[in-house]
Amino acid sequence: MEATKKRFILKIAILVVMLVFAAIAGVKFWQLRHYKETIVLSEDITDVKWLSDYCPSLKDTWLDTPVFIADSGVEGGTVFINGCPHPYEPASTMAAFLMLENIKVEKGKVIIVPRANYSGSTEGMVGDAYPRFFTVETQWGGETFRIGDRYTNPLDQWPDPFTYVNYPSGQNLAYQDIRNLNRTYPGRENGTITERAAYAIMEIIRQEDVDIAIDMHEAEILYPVTSTYVAPAKVLDREKFLETGVMEYIEPERNSLDVAMMAAMNIDQFFMKCAASPNTLHGLSHREWADWSDAMTFLMETPEIFIDKITGPRTEALLYEGKDEFLQNVTDKGLTYFPYDMEFGTPMWYRTARHLSGAMEIINWAALFYDDVECIVSWPLYEEMAEIEEQGIDSIGYFLKNPDAPENEANRFVIYHKPVEK
Amino acid sequence: MSVTALTFILLLIMIASFVLSSIKLKSPDISMVVAAIVIAVVGMFMFPDLGSPVMYLVEGLFVNLDLAMLFIAASIFVNIYSYSGAVSTITRGIVEKINNKWLLITIMGVLMLIPGALTGAGSVAIFVLGGLVNTVLESLGVSKRKRTVFIFFFAILSAAAPPINLWTMLMTAQANMPYVGFTWLLLVPICIAGAICIVYVGWGAKPEPKEETLKKLPERTEGMTWWRILLPVAAIIVLFVLALVAPWNLPVLGLPLMFVIAAIVALLCNPKKTTGKQYLGILDDTMEQVFPLVANVLSIGVLQSAMAATGVRGLIGSTCVGLPLVLIYSLILIIGPICQGCFNYGCSVVLGGPLIFMFNTLGMDVTVICAALSLIFPIGDCLPPSRIVGRLACEETGYTDSYLGFLKSALVPILAIGLIAVLMIVKPLWFTFLY
Repeated sequence: MEATKKRFILKIAILVVMLVFAAIAGVKFWQLRHYKETIVLSEDITDVKWLSDYCPSLKDTWLDTPVFIADSGVEGGTVFINGCPHPYEPASTMAAFLMLENIKVEKGKVIIVPRANYSGSTEGMVGDAYPRFFTVETQWGGETFRIGDRYTNPLDQWPDPFTYVNYPSGQNLAYQDIRNLNRTYPGRENGTITERAAYAIMEIIRQEDVDIAIDMHEAEILYPVTSTYVAPAKVLDREKFLETGVMEYIEPERNSLDVAMMAAMNIDQFFMKCAASPNTLHGLSHREWADWSDAMTFLMETPEIFIDKITGPRTEALLYEGKDEFLQNVTDKGLTYFPYDMEFGTPMWYRTARHLSGAMEIINWAALFYDDVECIVSWPLYEEMAEIEEQGIDSIGYFLKNPDAPENEANRFVIYHKPVEK
Repeated sequence: MSVTALTFILLLIMIASFVLSSIKLKSPDISMVVAAIVIAVVGMFMFPDLGSPVMYLVEGLFVNLDLAMLFIAASIFVNIYSYSGAVSTITRGIVEKINNKWLLITIMGVLMLIPGALTGAGSVAIFVLGGLVNTVLESLGVSKRKRTVFIFFFAILSAAAPPINLWTMLMTAQANMPYVGFTWLLLVPICIAGAICIVYVGWGAKPEPKEETLKKLPERTEGMTWWRILLPVAAIIVLFVLALVAPWNLPVLGLPLMFVIAAIVALLCNPKKTTGKQYLGILDDTMEQVFPLVANVLSIGVLQSAMAATGVRGLIGSTCVGLPLVLIYSLILIIGPICQGCFNYGCSVVLGGPLIFMFNTLGMDVTVICAALSLIFPIGDCLPPSRIVGRLACEETGYTDSYLGFLKSALVPILAIGLIAVLMIVKPLWFTFLY
């Protein structure tokens, strides 16, 4: 009897501890879900639309997200830049934020989506122990940003099927890829919420007559496509496919791969290579954007060791500085695809700066190949950021603007899945 | 002290706390959570930047939540289906009509491959057909231990069988490879290993007289007809096929809901007069049966999360991929299954992904290697701490003798599939004709 009573008390005690754990974690989950990032838009941002303007059924969902337009008013090329397709690749988002805060457009038009999968940024990588936030050192203290997941939050799209069948290729992919924005292109207007977001992005590219479309990602250094431009050498013969269902690939009117190769060769500040988008792998931006629109498409990967999974303790410092002993050992054995040096690491500023300069090279080389797509644009580049870093200043923080400063009030913008009153 | 040294100490602490807790509490599931909490707390002191571990420990519970729900839903279906008398009627039918021992064992093997091939989960194969296969093999004079081996082995083969092989899918997703070309690469080794298992299990088994077997089997349920037997199974097959052939015209149901729908069909087809209270009793029993398994997969998630946070996962992964090629060839048959035992499907990410990238660096055919790894990982489903499929197989046959004894008996078919897979890794070019 005494033993039964003791056991009962022990069970109650364990239950109470579990409830306390659940409550603490619940608060943290809620904070991550509802945290709002604020940025200060450049004076050159001329219009703000929403993903739901291109696919109305996204309205009032967690996949709706702002679309910023910087139009010079001078006829030229239209560039589309996609940030945060995978929220757990945060340099992609930071690059988009720095573009939005500092962009100057003299010719053509630039469209930027800084958080393409907003829902995915509202939870962590389950089982991978990601930090929730990271803080950028600025002159006014620090600005905190979210990291996120690779996939759409299951709170917004669930359950997963037992296999995901990409539309319209019919290719089978891993089940969780149904929530992976960069596996669901070209998307479906009435599909899952992630497919609708993919469809809306395709609609931006088609409706805004985008000439150059750039998708910003990060990749593990054990992955061959890290530090790489991926672009298609051939594109789908859409008419034939729609008529017969046969997938045949033809020479595009404008060759993205040529542009990407020249851009990669011309970059001398950091290591960048080039890969052709495979015809047989579907759902990815570099394949489907090119197949289902007339834009030249490019995907950029920076080296992000946090994604490698075989790292040491998963701290915010590791995410921000990228210094890891285990990956150094693996690199020393010649197993990585990036000349990793633990002394330098893969810091956030470096990865962000690579995206900024990588995108600029593409825009410039595209104009050299095809003069009607010329877009004259500027934002902070790798060299400037490296110089600032040499002075011991966080270059990301240097180029961010204080959202609380009175002079920035008019241009302050809260990034959320729906408009937020100022 | 270096990060490598500190995480190595954490690894030792994790193993020690798991072993001690297992001895004291006699529960691998609780022991995994204990080990996770211990390394999370110690890790917090070793690496103060990690901060509070509460969130990632709780987050770990969600890693395998879908799998846990699948186990519950599939078990509800199977229990209602069995309660209706369908399984015993099928068993009687098969035993009455087929006289050839080898043909009967082969039919059992092929049948067992189907549920796992469609769902990617070997446990589902056991849930759906384990009872039936056990009864038939028993009638053929196969010992309890070998019955357990047969059910376990075909369950893991069914998980590895195309079209749905979760290990391959996770590795290809990580490596940006298309999930194409794997059908024959997986199916041929599975057929060879399956045939070896059939011979191994059936060798020397002396079927008892048919009358004896029929006496042991439950009587046909009154009112049970073929359409009542087929309809629940047909429901689940139709849902699977529709999800594959018309994925864009149907809402995503998810495996748990598919099994719940099939369970409702089974309930409607039940010829027995059954009260609501009796059905509640079935649900209650189902939860009792499946609770240890649910606890197991949820605990693995917590441990997985703590290992990731503290760098223990990184230590294991980076050590394994950094081994010389000869050592990888020699040890993959040990490391792969151990990794599966620890991480479940997570092993394709922790170990599979880095290995694929490494072999790719060496210019080897990674499609063949990916298929080979997908044949090796499922073997670990009989190893602790999780040993999910092994444990289910034991429960299904009522095998209560030494678990080590079961593992020893399973060694023959395991080596068959393992050696084929190792050959595929060492000489991938020999197998390229299969895709």
